[in-house]
Amino acid sequence: MRYLKEVLESRELLANLTLREIRGQYKRTIFGQLWSLVNPLASMLVYTLVFALIIRVQPEAGDPSGLDIFAVWLLCGLLPWTFFSNVVQQGMGSILSNVGLVQKVYFARIVLPLSKVGSVGYNWLFEMGVLVVVLVICGAFVWPWLPLVVVTMVLLAIFAAGLALMLAVANVHFRDTQYFVSIIMQIWMYLTPIIYPISLVATQSDKYGGLFGTTVTILDVYRINPLERFVAVFRQLLYDNRWPDPQDFLLCAIWALAAFTVGLWIFRRSERGLAEAL
Amino acid sequence: MSEIAVKIEDVSKKFRLYHERNQSIKSAIMRGRRSVHEDFWALKDVGFEVPVGSTFGLIGSNGSGKSTLLKCLAKIYYPETGSITYNGKIAALLEVGSGFHPELSGRENIFLNGSILGMSKKEITGKFDEIVDFSGVEQFIDQPVKNYSSGMYVRLGFSVAINVNPDILVVDEVLAVGDTEFQAKCAQKFVDFKNEGRTVILVSHSMESVREMCDSAAWLSHGELIKVGPADETIDAYLRSLPGASAA
Ligand SMILES: Nc1ncnc2c1ncn2[C@@H]1O[C@H](COP(=O)(O)OP(=O)(O)OP(=O)(O)O)[C@@H](O)[C@H]1O
Ligand SMILES: [Mg+2]
Repeated sequence: MRYLKEVLESRELLANLTLREIRGQYKRTIFGQLWSLVNPLASMLVYTLVFALIIRVQPEAGDPSGLDIFAVWLLCGLLPWTFFSNVVQQGMGSILSNVGLVQKVYFARIVLPLSKVGSVGYNWLFEMGVLVVVLVICGAFVWPWLPLVVVTMVLLAIFAAGLALMLAVANVHFRDTQYFVSIIMQIWMYLTPIIYPISLVATQSDKYGGLFGTTVTILDVYRINPLERFVAVFRQLLYDNRWPDPQDFLLCAIWALAAFTVGLWIFRRSERGLAEAL
Repeated sequence: MSEIAVKIEDVSKKFRLYHERNQSIKSAIMRGRRSVHEDFWALKDVGFEVPVGSTFGLIGSNGSGKSTLLKCLAKIYYPETGSITYNGKIAALLEVGSGFHPELSGRENIFLNGSILGMSKKEITGKFDEIVDFSGVEQFIDQPVKNYSSGMYVRLGFSVAINVNPDILVVDEVLAVGDTEFQAKCAQKFVDFKNEGRTVILVSHSMESVREMCDSAAWLSHGELIKVGPADETIDAYLRSLPGASAA
């Protein structure tokens, strides 16, 4: 509890560090904030080309929204994923990239990874805003679902922050954690139904039946992945325009709280030794 | 005796000196998670008291543990044994301008650095003019700080730190970069501090300035406290211990 109070007292510092990241990011670039749209756009073009036009992946049309546009469907999953992956990777490196600060000034160290959640989240908010505009233009009726979208975004941010906290500590002690994680992130992305619909996995899983003679299917194992639930909820809200599956939504919340609690606990335990270990 | 601002009791600090450091997962696994290290005590049972309203100097040769002690005071390192008790708010100036973002302007950096040092936005706004004034870099305040000279960098950083208004200010030898005028300004600031009843603990290799500014001093050698007492006596004892030293 005392720790939480200290963290709360540092919220102004957190805001300032976040601003530092945001302001410093696109200084002296001509297009400024627009750059944050370029990356998702480029990935969208590539994935759409390869998966929709060449491999002919066909996700179901949005129900009840009636949307049937691969690129939009893709973005509803890709943007949350990119945010998640960036927060984990940047937050993880945040202690190491601020060696000067950590070794010279006392402050609640937790603001470093958290400020990355803020700065990456700021870009994400911007991207999601653009996505909403696109959805509206395409004829989706998203407005009533926006509050829930925001709640899910917060849950995903909490989940990502939890992982970032754990990994930030690991990264100080073992510097190759970040290389490791960047590979895991690539694999993880393909293990999540972002560029292909989960129905493809379901079909294969049905064909195969229960694993090792049990009733557990491949699909059940596949759905342990927390990001699968998050992506599902985002698509239900944004693309389908309907209430999210309560089970999915609940699991998102549980995953977020669990990851954050563990992350906070680990970070807090190792915080004192960080300056020396650097 | 007057009130005590900082009480350091039997503080010992250990560092691990790694012969083969496991900083990669691979080497950790290959060597069965054992890294080879030996313990090195950078501070050994150091204890003294600093009275409120005094200016206190820490002297000693390179590697004697002065900065380590200051970092323990600043809660950056945590001593293995012993305890440090404070009476009031502490601010440490171990490296000026840590936390400056090179691409941001002096103005933006004042707010950033101020909040890193624990000031609220309101406090910084209130003191902004004073900070800029003291630093003497008005003309460049809207330039990115990467275009500052190293002296200007120090000036700005120091001005922010001194305006945090701590009861106890801890300063490592950071002022050496400033020019004579700025050093005089800082010395004056320390005197003001003292008159306001605040405490300053500083590390310096310049015996003249320690003699001039400090009431008392402590001499560290190889992590051990050799002598603590009035500044003049401690400095003389330290100078006498140096090889080839005449009574300075
Ligand atoms: N993080 C660390 N890990 C291992 N050893 C350290 C660490 N920090 C300091 N030391 C060791 O502790 C000893 C004291 O260092 P310290 O920086 O306190 O010296 P100092 O008195 O400030 O010297 P100087 O006058 O050069 O500034 C040195 O031998 C140094 O090698
Ligand atoms: Mg030093």
